[in-house]
Amino acid sequence: MKIVKAAISGLFAFALIYVLNNKFGDIPPLARFLDPFNGFWANAESKVQDPEKNLTIEGLNGQVEIHFDDQMIPHIFADNDHDLYFAQGYITAKDRLWQMDFQTRFAAGRLSEVVGPKAIELDRYQRRMGMSFGAENMVEVMMKDPEIKAIMNAYSAGVNAYIHSLKSADYPIEFKLLNYEPEDWQPLYSALLLKLMSATLAGGSNEFYMNNILQKYGPEITKNLFPDYPFREDPIIPVGTKWDFDPVNIPQMPAISENKTASNIQTKEKEEGIGSNNWALSGKKTASGYPLLSNDPHLDLTLPAIWYQIQLVSNDMNACGVSIPGSPGIIIGFNKDVAWGVTNVGADVLDWYNIKFKDASKKEYWYDNKWNPVKERIENIKISNGEILTDTVLYTHHGPVVYTSEQRPDNFPKINNIPTGHALKWVAHIGSNDVRTFISLNKAKNYADYRKALTYFSAPAQNFVFASIENDIAITPNGYFPLKWKGQGKFLLDGTDPANDWKGRIPAEHNPTVKNPERNFVSSANQFPSDQSYPYYLNWEYSGYERSHRINKRLSVMTQANVDSLQNLQNDNYSILAENILSTLVSLVDSEKLNASEREGFNIVSQWNKFFDADEIGASIFELWHKNLGLQIWQDEFGDPKTPMRYPSRDRNVELLLNEPDAVWWDNVKTAKKETRADLVNASFKFAIDSLQRKFGPLDSDWAWANLKKTHVPHLAKVAGFGSKFLYNGGSKTSVNATSESNGPSWRMIVALGKDVKAYGVFPGGESGNPGSHYYDDMIDTWSDGKLNELVYLKTKDEKSKRIITSWKLSKK
Amino acid sequence: MLILIIAVVSLILQFFLPWWIIAPISFGISFWMARSGKQAFGSAFLAIFLLWIGMGLIHTLPNENILANRVGSMLSLPDTSFNWIIVLLLTGIIGGLASGFSGLSGFYFKEAIKKS
Repeated sequence: MKIVKAAISGLFAFALIYVLNNKFGDIPPLARFLDPFNGFWANAESKVQDPEKNLTIEGLNGQVEIHFDDQMIPHIFADNDHDLYFAQGYITAKDRLWQMDFQTRFAAGRLSEVVGPKAIELDRYQRRMGMSFGAENMVEVMMKDPEIKAIMNAYSAGVNAYIHSLKSADYPIEFKLLNYEPEDWQPLYSALLLKLMSATLAGGSNEFYMNNILQKYGPEITKNLFPDYPFREDPIIPVGTKWDFDPVNIPQMPAISENKTASNIQTKEKEEGIGSNNWALSGKKTASGYPLLSNDPHLDLTLPAIWYQIQLVSNDMNACGVSIPGSPGIIIGFNKDVAWGVTNVGADVLDWYNIKFKDASKKEYWYDNKWNPVKERIENIKISNGEILTDTVLYTHHGPVVYTSEQRPDNFPKINNIPTGHALKWVAHIGSNDVRTFISLNKAKNYADYRKALTYFSAPAQNFVFASIENDIAITPNGYFPLKWKGQGKFLLDGTDPANDWKGRIPAEHNPTVKNPERNFVSSANQFPSDQSYPYYLNWEYSGYERSHRINKRLSVMTQANVDSLQNLQNDNYSILAENILSTLVSLVDSEKLNASEREGFNIVSQWNKFFDADEIGASIFELWHKNLGLQIWQDEFGDPKTPMRYPSRDRNVELLLNEPDAVWWDNVKTAKKETRADLVNASFKFAIDSLQRKFGPLDSDWAWANLKKTHVPHLAKVAGFGSKFLYNGGSKTSVNATSESNGPSWRMIVALGKDVKAYGVFPGGESGNPGSHYYDDMIDTWSDGKLNELVYLKTKDEKSKRIITSWKLSKK
Repeated sequence: MLILIIAVVSLILQFFLPWWIIAPISFGISFWMARSGKQAFGSAFLAIFLLWIGMGLIHTLPNENILANRVGSMLSLPDTSFNWIIVLLLTGIIGGLASGFSGLSGFYFKEAIKKS
């Protein structure tokens, strides 16, 4: 009996320990996670920092001093470049190791290794899109540049020195939650992170939808609804700027270029995502007489924060700004002589080519009147349970065939815009040395250095704004732009005809650029790079003109500008869209037919000041109203689930509303009645009031715009509790302050050049990536309130600043 | 006494070894010293319950409990600033149970051997 008791209790205890020590599904190994010695409690950082710390690290050549300011932002002083980038890698890993690891795995299609089979389709997708293929090509080019090679290797060595110093108790909390260990860093991973930027900013495509529209409605309607230049525009390069180059031969459109491929996959309306702004003012418009530069790149916001603030100082540079965790150098920032920033261009650098295979074996494809061999790339996807899934990707000279019909998974919404049986030609697959652009900008002294630095940049193409202490300002939509005929890649392309191939690139020095324009400022907000006088084709559609128009309007009347005036513009919630359409909408409402609450809402929206401020109820009504109106106009004609299409742009909606009251599109073809413009405007208004009522109850302050928008910053892996709370703030997609639910300014910066450069900045998060740190989200309220922190910029390592709270000395072992 | 010995030995060894070292410690010391099943379970449970809560406090108080509160939200507790106390109790209970059942089986093993 006692033996049985012993056996049962022994077995039970053993089973309990086993259960508590292992991960089941998404539940972490409970006792290991809760163990206060090595589990999550060990990640709870004290608010108080030690005033100094001395570390000896293998791999350094000399001594590095790092001062941390009151937001724990590192200011790194090294004697040479090797130690500088080594220390950058080391310190970035200290704060962001898990984020670096996870994003790299996401990019490379290696998430299944740590989260299990649920990520298999995502991993297949990333690999089939050629993310690693592109990153490998990039590393090959970078490693041919001895200086960049040394920097990439030093950075990796620094990351690895940090990883090797860790005990399991020190691993970031997410490793403990997901139950895996960090692995050694390599330059390929830095390249993957840059590819991830390309995927986010230059990885979208519409041509599949456009093709379906072309087939259903024919060329005339397609051109009318999806024109190659918008109704209203305010391009980056001021209208009238002369091009000082003779264009190279521009390819001609071949006789038959369209590609008839029908398909039946469901899709959703494409969301307009990015809303970045930048501008620079010449000293002629500023109070100081020196240029001011502003930049707020917009992205899908996450915690840990997307950017990592840092100051990098060695014998020949002293730059400050934000870096991408996992990549050396500073991406957006300044030094004592120059400042620079970026917004996304959005040129068409991704095209789809229909592939004609010889037979079902798919070993050869037809191109240039002969059969050509298909290359196979084998992808081995490791899964956390130890299995390996093998996936074969077929490569043509265009690029990978992302999905053949038998390889295409069902029910994976991410791939809705990908045409089956088409090869992907994408600039992100072409080897490039983009890191050199940033390393050169970090050290730049003048306009010539800026121009030189830009020639190395490939993707994702950015509008590089620039200002120097010599009072030069400039902006350049810059990157690798393929040389195309006008409209090439608006629709799917036939992959058998060499005439459809990209004909190399537009020479880098022919990229649109402007220096010191007469209006004494330069700006960009993702709009058209130039008017139609630019000889080359870049794309047929960009972000709406509203933000850029507002920026240009305000900058053109600005005089004696200072940091406050620019900060005020960054936070501008005024909507040019509302200015353009609200009065027309209001005039079409039949107020006789409104019920009491509709009338109350109508009065509010009629008197609304067109600012998307947090408290505005009119903003809530207007937003739902015009959005639903767009849906009502197009859903009947473009919402056929059998043929996925997209809707015409917001710009086209505005033109239709203002100038085409009798267009056929107003009628809902699914009803017997013939609807008019006024019918749709009234119905969508009632819809807006009704949905707000259902969401928030009777009209009161709950209807405030901030409550509808619900801005918050989620955790990168969507771990509940690790994201931000809901933030009460203003902004909209058509305002300069383009803040939406969880997309917005990922970094706001203003640099005031001068004898003593001053800079201000903030991002929605904190310097630390540890949810157990007081520096994880310490800037988020400042950001939400539209305020900026003055950036600490130390001129020498011995400069005293009250804001330095701790200093580290890193010495070689 | 049993409580103190298990707690002290666990405290020392947990600095070097994974959390499950508390199981053989509770097992061994109960095997050696426990006089009843109740005492074995109760002492082993309390020793680790208190040790883990104590250690948890050492980490969480200077942190002003921000991480433990976040973990509370992660575990779907309603959002309050007292979540950390619940997470701390849960920590103590999980550690306590692992230790308690190990201690209990340590005592039963001794009983089983004694008879034969």
